[in-house]
Amino acid sequence: MTAYSDPILESIAQRLQDSDAGIRRVAVMDLVDSVDEEGVELLLQALSDEDEMVRLEAARVIDEFDPADMMDALVDALNAPDRNVRNAAAKALADLKDPEAAPALIAALKTDDAFVLASILRSLKQLCIKDARPYAIELLGHEDPGVRREAVGVLGYLQEEENLPQLKAVAKSDADAEVRRSAVGALVYASPEKVADTLISAVSDEHWQVRCEAIRSLGRLKVCEAKTALIAAIEDKRWQVQEKAAEAIGMVGAIEGIPALGSCIDNPISNLRKTAVAALGELAHEDGLPFIRRALDDNDPDVRKLARWALERTGA
Amino acid sequence: MPTATQISMVPVVVDNEKCIADKGCRTCIDVCPLDVLWIDEKTGKAHMRYDECWYCMPCEADCPTDAVTVNIPYLLR
Amino acid sequence: MTQLDDITVKDVDVLVIGGGTAGPMAAITAKEKDPSASVMLLEKANVKRSGAISMGMDGLNNAVIPGHATPEQYTKEITIANDGIVLQKGVMEYAERSFDMIQKLDNWGVYFQKDETGEYDVKKVHHLGTYVLPMPEGHNIKKILYRRLRRNRVQVENRYQAIRLMKDESGAVSGCIALGTRDAEVIVIRAKAVVLCTGAAGRIGLPASGYLYGTYENPTNCGDGHSMAYHVGAELSGLECYQINPLLKDYNGPACAYVTGPLGGYTANANGDRFIECDYWSGQMMMEFYNELQSGNGPVFLKLDHLAEETIQEIEDVLHTNERPSRGRFHDGRGNDYRTKMVEMHISEIGFCAGHSASGVWINEKGETTVPGLYGAGDMASIPHSYMLGAFVYGDICGANAVEFAKHRDLPTLDETFILREKQRILAPLKRSDGIPPNQFEYKLRRFVNDYLQPPKITKKMDIGLQRLKDMEQDIEFLYARDPHELLRANEAQHVYDCALMAAHASMYRQESRWGLYHHYVDYPQTNNDDWFCHVQLYKSEDNQMACKKRPIDPYVVELDEEEKTAYQKMRIQQVS
Repeated sequence: MTAYSDPILESIAQRLQDSDAGIRRVAVMDLVDSVDEEGVELLLQALSDEDEMVRLEAARVIDEFDPADMMDALVDALNAPDRNVRNAAAKALADLKDPEAAPALIAALKTDDAFVLASILRSLKQLCIKDARPYAIELLGHEDPGVRREAVGVLGYLQEEENLPQLKAVAKSDADAEVRRSAVGALVYASPEKVADTLISAVSDEHWQVRCEAIRSLGRLKVCEAKTALIAAIEDKRWQVQEKAAEAIGMVGAIEGIPALGSCIDNPISNLRKTAVAALGELAHEDGLPFIRRALDDNDPDVRKLARWALERTGA
Repeated sequence: MPTATQISMVPVVVDNEKCIADKGCRTCIDVCPLDVLWIDEKTGKAHMRYDECWYCMPCEADCPTDAVTVNIPYLLR
Repeated sequence: MTQLDDITVKDVDVLVIGGGTAGPMAAITAKEKDPSASVMLLEKANVKRSGAISMGMDGLNNAVIPGHATPEQYTKEITIANDGIVLQKGVMEYAERSFDMIQKLDNWGVYFQKDETGEYDVKKVHHLGTYVLPMPEGHNIKKILYRRLRRNRVQVENRYQAIRLMKDESGAVSGCIALGTRDAEVIVIRAKAVVLCTGAAGRIGLPASGYLYGTYENPTNCGDGHSMAYHVGAELSGLECYQINPLLKDYNGPACAYVTGPLGGYTANANGDRFIECDYWSGQMMMEFYNELQSGNGPVFLKLDHLAEETIQEIEDVLHTNERPSRGRFHDGRGNDYRTKMVEMHISEIGFCAGHSASGVWINEKGETTVPGLYGAGDMASIPHSYMLGAFVYGDICGANAVEFAKHRDLPTLDETFILREKQRILAPLKRSDGIPPNQFEYKLRRFVNDYLQPPKITKKMDIGLQRLKDMEQDIEFLYARDPHELLRANEAQHVYDCALMAAHASMYRQESRWGLYHHYVDYPQTNNDDWFCHVQLYKSEDNQMACKKRPIDPYVVELDEEEKTAYQKMRIQQVS
């Protein structure tokens, strides 16, 4: 057995030899307090302990060590038999935020475990590595929605025009609403004309959160062709969607939307009234004045405040 | 100046079956900001010795065996 | 290591007191700037889980991110929220470093909310600027700080309460006297520079529940630093500008407007309507809250019952895993469900905290207190509204400046007489065989604070309160502790006592009303800019008395035009209803 200069490590090393798995487990937990990279050796030993709880505890402390000190070990751990170990290793590699970790992460994408796969993709996303692109595109077709969602993340963070066709396809037709929502959100890195059609059709997605995201993206990109769709969305059955639509009408500068915004001024949901009057202020058009004036007497102070601001902007 | 000892219903409860303090674990005791968890000398397990709890939860969240439960102190419940 | 009588003396270049938020950052930066320097981080609990963010944080309230807000805009907003009484240079320094700090934390592995393309997902909550950056996965922040402490080989000493700072004959700080909370050992740490990061003074007032530790702040933050700074001769500032926060009634945890706001939740009166006019978190906002509580429309509620199921689940995920996760358990016990009913809110007990208001140990834009070699950061130091990110930024500033100060200084000499006298004073409760238990002393003290010192402030009441507090001074001679833990509480109680006295003195000195509810002084109901447009500094006078003086406001670095000032005034309710 190696002798350690650090008394904490020496004590941990001894306890790791104990026949009682409980004692070995507590020894692993104490690795957190050792500052020495020599501790890596003990961590590796614990990662292959015969007892599952000891291995699990070891997985939990993986990210306490400087990944630079244990790159090889982490890469090995990506293929460990325990899912917890593989997952912890992927997370530790992500925290490294070092592109050098990417090849190992990419190589580990061979796993069948969807949970771990998603975790590796999440790690790759942080690194913004172009080499991950073909894998992410392939995994857009994975059966597990969690994996597909993270694959979208990888492509979204890359912000490359060549990935737009794939992201648009996911936004349109993925079976899972959260995957569609993330793809719709990712499209904001594109220039408006490249994604307008997809975003506009997502305004009538069956899931309200996808509709919200699409409207938000249209507003951020100031897609002028979306005016009709946005005005129609003011009639959405969800106030959350109506609210986003009101905001986006202001952002794209759709004067045609003033009557629709005006129709929100008496809505019982104050969040919607607030956003509508703010959008009228953004537009700062005289046609909005009657609605703005009405909002000056709203019982909600936020609405009143925004009405005063809108009135000032509209020059009255 | 005479003093009395009163009982107090404490918020933090430790399941002695699950607690591995006897194996050397001191996690909950270490992380408690108010230092109110101690080893019970009779059982060798952790217990709440002082009723001075911020119900902040590190003892429960960090316990490796899920032996600790933090209840909201009675006066606040 | 040397011995002084039987006292262990540890020598370091930089001593950081308090391992919560600002403290670890100060220690890490000091080591990064000079790896050869010896840096000790002293913590009353354990740095793994200490301070206000022991269970993480759910968002940044004051992120100044290019494209969303500018340092100038932020400085203006904070100036307005503090009724003009700010050291703008200090606020500006924070604002300019805010984004670098976010990126640093991001690189360390702290997760901030990003959109699907990896850009920061900043939310607009305030009327003017956009500053709120959610951290739905912010529960690992302490773990990340601990990792950095280890990697930089900062010497961490857990379970020591710092009790008194020391200074040398030149008047510069020379270290501190600390008490082992588990063995009652008194030790001395001699240091060339000291950074105080002891957090808010959150145990001055008594929570409405009557439970001593059911405070808004982590109750370990009891004003150790405020008391130490006072006794070593540093100035404190703005102590009359109390911290009072909206919170969940009885649970006493934050209501998290910044988490629920961007998702559509809001603070409502009994009718379910918004009532808050004021824009930025301030005493004015708390005044409106207080008025509503007292009015026929009260009490006040957190309204989420209009939100969609998916949104509520998201809110529960964030709120019940970060910062104060026992909140979910509290709601379960009461049968509260965000989906079906509004949750009752209240306002907190009073405290000192620069994170939410402006009160604390005076520091300038370099983190310097008025004592050479002594720095301060975080909730304890006077830069207003700094929240968690401000603690990190000023921790960073102080760490760099303290290690630089230490470089140009020899180890200071120690005042042995002072140390031996303090040791005796600190240990006295343990030497007695009976007396007043610390918890009874503290309960009584804090009840007097509630009865007499919390707003609305009234001179006659504060006179009585001050007299009651002074009467309690003789009780200190009878404090009785049976073990080291009770000795810790006895010493904490004395710091709480100092803070209560400071709250009273500073409040009575500023003869006007300002900052809404924070300093609502009934005898002087109007704001009086002619006489009181200044800081109020509290300090220990040459004859060892608590004294106050005015400090002029430094010239602004960002001017407010008249319209901005009046636009704000228009939104105000001038007085308590």
